[in-house]
Amino acid sequence: MVSPRAVAAEVLVVGGGMAGTIAALAAREAGARVVLVRRAPGATALSSGAVGVAPDPFALPGEPLRAARGPLEAARRLARLRPDHPYAVLGDRLEALPDALAFATRALAPLLAPPLERPRFLATSFGTAVPAALCQRSQAAGDLLAVGGALVVAGLAGHLGLDAALVAASLERYRARGGPPTFAVEVDAGLGELGLLRPHELARRLEQPGAAEALGAAIRAALPAGAGAVLVAPVLGLRPEAQVPERVAGAAGIAVAELLADVPSMPGVRLQAALEAALAAAGVEVVQGAIQGATGPGAPIAAGATEITAARWVLATGRFVGGGIARRGTLREPALGLPVQAAEGREAGVDLAARPAASLTGAARVGPQPLLSAGLRVDARLRPLDARGRPAAEGLHAAGAVVGGHEHASDGTGLGVAILTGYLAGRAAARPGGGE
Amino acid sequence: MDYDVIILGGGVNGTGTARDCAMRGLRVLLLEKADFGVGASGNSSGMIHGGIRYMLSDRHVTALACRDSGYIQRIAPHLLFRIPFLMPFTSRAEGATLRDRAAWYATEVYVGTYDLFQPLKHGKPSTRLSAEELYRLEPGLRPGLRGAVTLDEWGIDAFRLCALNALSARAHGAELRTWTAGREILAEGGRVRGVRFRDALTGEEGEARAPVVFNATGAWSPALARRSGAAVPMRPGKGVHLTLDRRYSNYGVILSAVDGRQMFVMPHEDESIVGTTDDDYYGDPDDVEATNDEVEYLVEGAASLLPGVRNARITRAWCGLRTTIYAYGPNEDALSREHQLHDGAAFGRAGLLSLVGGKLASYRAQSQEVTDRILALLGRAPVPCRTHEEPLPGGDEVPDPAALARAHPVAAPIAARLVYRHGGRAREILRLLEEDPRLGLVLCRDEGILAAEVVHCVRHEQVRRLQDLRRRCRLAVGACAGLDCARVAAQLAGRELGWSPEQVRAELADLLDAGWRERRPILDGAQLVQEELVRGAHAAAGAPW
Repeated sequence: MVSPRAVAAEVLVVGGGMAGTIAALAAREAGARVVLVRRAPGATALSSGAVGVAPDPFALPGEPLRAARGPLEAARRLARLRPDHPYAVLGDRLEALPDALAFATRALAPLLAPPLERPRFLATSFGTAVPAALCQRSQAAGDLLAVGGALVVAGLAGHLGLDAALVAASLERYRARGGPPTFAVEVDAGLGELGLLRPHELARRLEQPGAAEALGAAIRAALPAGAGAVLVAPVLGLRPEAQVPERVAGAAGIAVAELLADVPSMPGVRLQAALEAALAAAGVEVVQGAIQGATGPGAPIAAGATEITAARWVLATGRFVGGGIARRGTLREPALGLPVQAAEGREAGVDLAARPAASLTGAARVGPQPLLSAGLRVDARLRPLDARGRPAAEGLHAAGAVVGGHEHASDGTGLGVAILTGYLAGRAAARPGGGE
Repeated sequence: MDYDVIILGGGVNGTGTARDCAMRGLRVLLLEKADFGVGASGNSSGMIHGGIRYMLSDRHVTALACRDSGYIQRIAPHLLFRIPFLMPFTSRAEGATLRDRAAWYATEVYVGTYDLFQPLKHGKPSTRLSAEELYRLEPGLRPGLRGAVTLDEWGIDAFRLCALNALSARAHGAELRTWTAGREILAEGGRVRGVRFRDALTGEEGEARAPVVFNATGAWSPALARRSGAAVPMRPGKGVHLTLDRRYSNYGVILSAVDGRQMFVMPHEDESIVGTTDDDYYGDPDDVEATNDEVEYLVEGAASLLPGVRNARITRAWCGLRTTIYAYGPNEDALSREHQLHDGAAFGRAGLLSLVGGKLASYRAQSQEVTDRILALLGRAPVPCRTHEEPLPGGDEVPDPAALARAHPVAAPIAARLVYRHGGRAREILRLLEEDPRLGLVLCRDEGILAAEVVHCVRHEQVRRLQDLRRRCRLAVGACAGLDCARVAAQLAGRELGWSPEQVRAELADLLDAGWRERRPILDGAQLVQEELVRGAHAAAGAPW
């Protein structure tokens, strides 16, 4: 029997996705000694890799893309309309959003493109464009408002995954709103049989020596006159250090951007890798393992062969994919047994745990689903609340998707909430009482 | 007149009758308000069983079903698979009471009697298993069982059975219109003269004329008849099934629900199915969903003998409406499973036939009977029925999946799924890969769906909407809920059918809606995790910006 290694820290962060990482980095920057424990890569790895903060609920259909409000104003509007959303629960602290976004951009510096005053409008493989407050450098050139000239959607010859013609035809509809003219081309990168490869396999293929350059050259050969930027499937490498997007763009001689994709999305995988690199660079100790026997801040907990003691915790364990909230007949929060009582829509605020699934869902798929927005209820300082509405434990904060009241995976606010709540929770945990 | 007969309803009776009528030389129009099999047929238990349940009450339903089960094996050998069932001997108390023993003996006699029918459907005779043998075969059963008897049944993909009948009818000259509702049955001078219809996708309205109209719209037929001045008495019963993500038993297991009703857990393709409820339904047949109490009822019943089902991942809860013959008084279970053919002459609608009741397993015989009646109504000379001899499309051969996998760039398990769904036509589908190797992409690893299969179904199997592919090739019905396959399939179908980008997204949304309705009451554990992923992956498809 190996005796566990004992580690003491001021702040323990549970969860290694966007919220947990930003919390750890923010606490570290505030001078705290931080340990982050994670069970697996966060659900952030399954995201599109771009950061949506808030779709503006008052935006008019068909209004010029240029009229879009910046992320803070859009989040304020959303908070007014959705009282259960974390943006509303945070109250005045929502105003920290620009600081939080700037902090995240700095922390993930080589990967993320500098933010603009307005959202970028990034194309998806469905042919829609979605607003993103932050995005990766490999995605930024696809911003519909930034393309100087025509936007060319390049499909890979020999692969069905992306229907370039469909995406281009669909994006053409944004022209009336200030988007660029779009064309589709098919490029044959001479990479051999691609037809049966899945996205991650394509990404790995493109990391091989010469492959990215071959794709770039094929794009260059296929470019129509007047092209301003090229959109490709989001398969430009798995590891940020392989620099596939840069190599492709270099060989193509034109700005190349990745579309936002469904799951699995390689930019999401690269975002997760960048989070891990940032933790290492900041000197946050990362412990791999599921936590066991947690009773709350102050008491030691075991994670793998390590025993960690910290007076203040940030719970950033995610929602269902992350495992921060689970349902086995009843909804529960597995790490500490906190009550699951926050949701959005008609069931908000009631005790959700024991209600049957159909009672927590609406018949219309789109629209708020209390079950899928279920999570912890927190106060404006991100302290989880017990069933009577009081802070559940001294020194405990929550961040990211484990906080309920929003559908983090699908309402366009997930990573924005993760960054803002991670930033606030990390700072609050590092400086108890200090300014909070 | 435009047609000899207009058939309303694309369930197994509508498509089966369309096939028979077309094969006997009649000019046929079939109108289906949605897609083939969407009602009771496709949402049945998916069994070509001999109807042992009906042996006591409707013995000739059993005989009819068994004989026809044999015929269906002949005409669609690829689509059927054997499901041996166990009927365990249970007792509530410690040690068997005399009453228990009497019940077991009765079960043996019962199944032994069923053995007399088994040769009709190429079933194996029943056997008596000791407790030891029973647990060796089915270790997941709860302890304390005294043995079992076995009986042999057949499973089928009921959606494909409907589609294959429809396609065969089309090949014999019938005209098929899906997503086209018969709005009203038109009559004149005491006789029907046709149907007014509306195409739900194009909005086109029209009238088709025929001297005979066959109303096979199942649970929808009372309302249709009422609108047209006739009456069809029926007691629709809602039946709910659950799909579990894998096989939770090696054999079908027959067991008792909390109220003593008989129910079952059975392996079906790669999954298990738990069924079924049977409750009178007075609601809107277009808006029928499983409820949490029905789900819990089924889980409790299944777990009474297979406790592992309590921890199972339920992937769907689906339901249909049985069109049981009307009777006032009996419980749902005790209603006859026979079928009745109502003649509209009494309502001044001579030439209108409406079918009530009947079973999936007997669809072919029912269709034959209806076709005979139609010929008589038309005053035609009898023509012999051949639907039990001529194979359904793809049923002429069952290729060896391993050989297909050697000859084409597909894995053997994928080839096996292809053969199961398409029989001899699997060869045609794999030939698509020679022209376009990209079509070898496996869209869904759960269900083994090739891009080529999607393209084939869209081109040749009367697909008008993306959700039709749920029924042709199980698109987005597996545990993955469409995570991998939905978008690419929408693109492929859109390309084949000339959809605009907006239509592609609308069809994708419609496909996901259909899955959501079936998962809403069962979201739990890993399936809830999957739901979060699927919603996240498709959020941008519905982006309003």
